[in-house]
Amino acid sequence: MINRSLVETASDTSRHKIRIWDLPTRLFHWLLVIAFIVAMLSQGDDRYLDVHVVSGYLFFGLLGFRFIWGIIGTHYVRFSHFAFDWKAVWHYLKMLPTKQRQHFLGHNPAGSWAIFIILGLGLIVSLTGLLTLGGEERHGPFAGMISFALGSSIHEWHEVTAWLLLGLISIHIVGVLVESWLHHENLIKAMITGLKSVPVSVFAQPLSVQRHGFTATILILVIIVIGTWVYSKPFIGPKLPDNVVWREACGECHLAYHPTLLPARSWQRMLAEQHEHFEEDLDLDDETLLEIQTFLMANAAESELTEPAWKINNSTPPEQTPLRITKTAYWIEQHQNIADEIWQHPDVNFQGNCGACHLDAEQGTFEDAAMRLPSSSVPF
Amino acid sequence: MKKSLILAAIALLPLSTPPIYAANPVDELLAKYRLQGADAFSAEAGKILWHQGFTQTGKIRKCTTCHTNDLHKTGKHARTGKAIKPMAPSVNPERLTKLKKIRKWLKRNCKWTLGRECTPQEKGNILIYLQSQ
Repeated sequence: MINRSLVETASDTSRHKIRIWDLPTRLFHWLLVIAFIVAMLSQGDDRYLDVHVVSGYLFFGLLGFRFIWGIIGTHYVRFSHFAFDWKAVWHYLKMLPTKQRQHFLGHNPAGSWAIFIILGLGLIVSLTGLLTLGGEERHGPFAGMISFALGSSIHEWHEVTAWLLLGLISIHIVGVLVESWLHHENLIKAMITGLKSVPVSVFAQPLSVQRHGFTATILILVIIVIGTWVYSKPFIGPKLPDNVVWREACGECHLAYHPTLLPARSWQRMLAEQHEHFEEDLDLDDETLLEIQTFLMANAAESELTEPAWKINNSTPPEQTPLRITKTAYWIEQHQNIADEIWQHPDVNFQGNCGACHLDAEQGTFEDAAMRLPSSSVPF
Repeated sequence: MKKSLILAAIALLPLSTPPIYAANPVDELLAKYRLQGADAFSAEAGKILWHQGFTQTGKIRKCTTCHTNDLHKTGKHARTGKAIKPMAPSVNPERLTKLKKIRKWLKRNCKWTLGRECTPQEKGNILIYLQSQ
């Protein structure tokens, strides 16, 4: 660990130009920045869940790379190189405002702690994200292994840790700016070029690392291959139970609303009132009625086959028996921000025309990412 | 052994003979409507009924409300906007081929449009009119 820490002394004009950050580390850093920004921008809106999840996978994959590179990577990026104890951090911070401040080629003690916490928090954010995805959306490696309720509470942890991570990143940025200013060196530029120009007076024989272009190429290729694979598997929901009689009888005048979209008591009431079905007399014969009823009862919202099923069932008080899906609390909450122009769009016609925006309305899965503005291919 | 084969053949015999109503479902229904007291059917009368307006819950309803004025075109459900395939058998050969469907929709849509079930005479007229398209 020669030259790890040297006290700045008199100014000297002669400088070494050395490489501190190898190419894979720089790619990791900036791709992680992009992945985090995209994930933050796409969060909180179900319509961009696909973008959010893809950026999350990228984030997680990059962390995985960094943990390996922290063991086998180049000099300055190895964990062992910047594993400072708290005393070193304290000493560093204490000396910072003074002329005797320490100058490090790689991470300084305070910065290294921020980095370890960012990596650890990032890992927690990634894992809670995957668990949320498996529990709430029935997607990803944990699909169906976690209940909706557990997925929902893990979701809260995912959010809390992500905001904490944002806080840590802010501290990291402030630290970078402060150090850049105090040492008169552009640390942001160093993370782009990998190079630092250091005074000979301070660092007599600083170590310059290899560029590692080959590893960087491998990293990019792995991201492209895995990214393409993730992207080629879009958000297709599970195959839900179907029934020919139901689909024909209920699907002739309107979308055959999947049983998962209303509680069993609602379907029961709807069939009991079949002679006054929204101003129409369904007049279903007993045989058809029984078949439809059996299918509806077996797959009603209580079955929790999908996220909407679970949420509709949970948000409908037991004393309520809604006949319209659009009257359920969950539906109202999910659609409250939709502009009037969209409801008045000629392709929409009425609120029960789910298929105008939900690409998988026929299948009944109502995946978050399967939504598009009518007569347009762009997500709204 | 031989006896049982003959018996089996006899048992299967009815399946090989055509049913008494070999005619298409429209003819079958028309015959039934005649038995229920309908006179000769008229496509012209069917057409008039098809375009006639009836006031239900403050609004005028017609067959054309959903099926449009052109039977060769795709219609649209008045309430839900769901597409309804053309009624004319010349463009949609599936039309008027299933007895159960014809009966179901004549009953349901007469109730919605006219506010009552159609008479055998009216139903026959409509069927003849649609068949001619």
